[in-house]
Amino acid sequence: MEKGELQCKFGILSRPDGSVMLSEGNTTVIAGIYGPVEVKMQKVLIEKAAVECHYRPKSGLPGVEDRFYESIIRNICETALAASMFPRSAISVVIQEMQNSGELISCAINAACLACLDSGIDMKCMFAAVSCFLGENNQLSLVPPVNRKEIKATFVFVFDNICGKIIASHTDGKFSESLYEEALYICMNESKNIFSFFKKSLFEREEKGKKK
Amino acid sequence: MAVEYKTLHPQKYYNYYLANNIRPDGREFDKYRPIVLNVNSVETADGSAICKIGQTTVICGIKAEFCRPKAETPNEGFIVPNLELPPLCSPKFKPGPPSDQAQVLSQLIADIIKNSNCVDLKDLCLHPDKLAWCLFIDFICLDFDGAIIDACIIALMGALKTVTLPTVDYDAALDNKLVNIEERHPLKIYSTPVSTTYIIFDDKYILTDPTVEEENLCSGLVTIVLNADEVCCVHKPGGTALNEGQLFDCIQKSKKRSKYINELIVSAVKALN
Amino acid sequence: MSTKIGDFAIPGDLFTEIKSHKGVTIVGPGLRRNEERPNSLFITQPGKLCFKAPNVYWIEGRRKRYIPKKGDLVVGIVTKKAGDTLRVDIGSAEFASLSLLAFEGATKKQKPDAQVGDLVYAKLLNAHKEMEPELVCIDSYSKAGRLGLLSNEGFLINLSPLQANRLLDVDNNPLLRTLGRKLVFEIAVGVNGKVWINAKKTKDVFTIIKSLELAEKHSDKDIMHSCRKIK
Repeated sequence: MEKGELQCKFGILSRPDGSVMLSEGNTTVIAGIYGPVEVKMQKVLIEKAAVECHYRPKSGLPGVEDRFYESIIRNICETALAASMFPRSAISVVIQEMQNSGELISCAINAACLACLDSGIDMKCMFAAVSCFLGENNQLSLVPPVNRKEIKATFVFVFDNICGKIIASHTDGKFSESLYEEALYICMNESKNIFSFFKKSLFEREEKGKKK
Repeated sequence: MAVEYKTLHPQKYYNYYLANNIRPDGREFDKYRPIVLNVNSVETADGSAICKIGQTTVICGIKAEFCRPKAETPNEGFIVPNLELPPLCSPKFKPGPPSDQAQVLSQLIADIIKNSNCVDLKDLCLHPDKLAWCLFIDFICLDFDGAIIDACIIALMGALKTVTLPTVDYDAALDNKLVNIEERHPLKIYSTPVSTTYIIFDDKYILTDPTVEEENLCSGLVTIVLNADEVCCVHKPGGTALNEGQLFDCIQKSKKRSKYINELIVSAVKALN
Repeated sequence: MSTKIGDFAIPGDLFTEIKSHKGVTIVGPGLRRNEERPNSLFITQPGKLCFKAPNVYWIEGRRKRYIPKKGDLVVGIVTKKAGDTLRVDIGSAEFASLSLLAFEGATKKQKPDAQVGDLVYAKLLNAHKEMEPELVCIDSYSKAGRLGLLSNEGFLINLSPLQANRLLDVDNNPLLRTLGRKLVFEIAVGVNGKVWINAKKTKDVFTIIKSLELAEKHSDKDIMHSCRKIK
């Protein structure tokens, strides 16, 4: 039941305003954020910043499936960022997949959150994503099974850190309603650990910045 | 006067109505718009349907073509859904390559088909590693007035249930196929997923089956797809956060609708025969 | 979760013990009013919650991107010349505009000779989020003071806005003063993180750049300590 270890490294890229490399177990992504920056004429919004997300898979060009993830991450970032503070500008989140062993979406979402925090851009709340897997024996687990074929269903939940409400939910596969409820509560509990990890890493970064 | 007020302060205009527990189009929060389903509407397709939810209109056509199965899955065919949002259906869309929204919705439909197992891909295989059916499922939106996914899924099920495939005799040794166009058999459908869309308005009201106006003003969207008693998709791509109670409540509401839509599809298909 | 002054706060935390002076509280960067609960503030940036008596609150974050503020003194790069106005890159989301008439002694006929690529040390006259930032190189008495075009001979480096602010805080950070005793140089520190340096010898410029970069990784105390040794 123990979830794969979380590890992160801030500021690995020099050009973006915020960047992070995040590993969850064996899944690793790099996220970078630019913002607020100049916006393209067609995309300009007069009352808030236009949030865009670019997701790059490990190899090849992004496909339709990646567009789907992009739209989810974009929507989540838009919810969490205080976009109304930067009208007529753009905030762009770039995510590069490095290694995927199952919990890619949740790792990408968490990396997006850490990158936003690293850049110091104003946010309404933080967000944390947790993946939960339904194995062959109808057991819910936070660790992806080694054999992908054993996965009957995958749940990804994203929570905020103010009241622990659900920002996003994405599911894959068929399941009963009670299993969905169960998965939700397991993920909700786990999200608290992720938030404390976020806080701990940010605090360490702050301390490191001072002493070194 | 009301018209001017609506253009100037659409959000406030809606809030006045919603505070009195009614929507500007006269519906209560959890009421649906009327649904019209017509199956086998396109003669040239192997299966087709038109679905109207209120003003939202989606036409779905299915075309079966031969193809070779992938090496990883030698005994499975393919299903390729694609949603087109032409400029005709809404001023939001421009001509040109598919917009991000169209791609995202196409992917969601593909996920729903895969998750619900409504078609067994193995049924589409004619000869392992040699010949299989590829179902191209094309959706064209004619009028974009909200809850597009709901309409697509109803049209999809209507169309799938009317798909007939010609009988094929395949000689693997000679790589020779004999297609008997006259003798057609229906495709086996294992389940009927039903999707219901909800929006969160002004962070507090949850409205069922939104119109496009409501969707544009809303602060969050939830799509729930049920498959008989099972859930096969709870899709909430960001937006205002909900607590678990509200989410479960939406699932409960969807259950009732799922039954009703199942009956609708069955009766539409029955009327055809 | 309620936060206290001096604590490390993260977005989503709540701060409730607000002190006001004559019914007024000044809220700085990184904090946002909570509409649902009056008399509380939401934290929107990770960083230390700071307070200055009697009623000023802000978050000391480590933001890299510069957000223009009215009255800030910045160093910018001229990127475009259009008629009487210059477009200046000050590191914010949008280029700032600088009128050629906003230099000391400039008239319609006699304008300063600013070329694309030149550096200016200017003051933000206007920095509203809804409008493009506007720069001037004169004060309200039409005097340039130290503002204006910077010589082409100097070097430009980019620091984080936080580091630039630390350099300017000469009371607590004696780095620039100490360097000034040892070397002869000119420096213009913009709060946007762009720093222009010029000295007679290129070697001196590199020494300064190196020391500024090193200082970024040390605390004020360490710097004060090392500066004392140099004396």
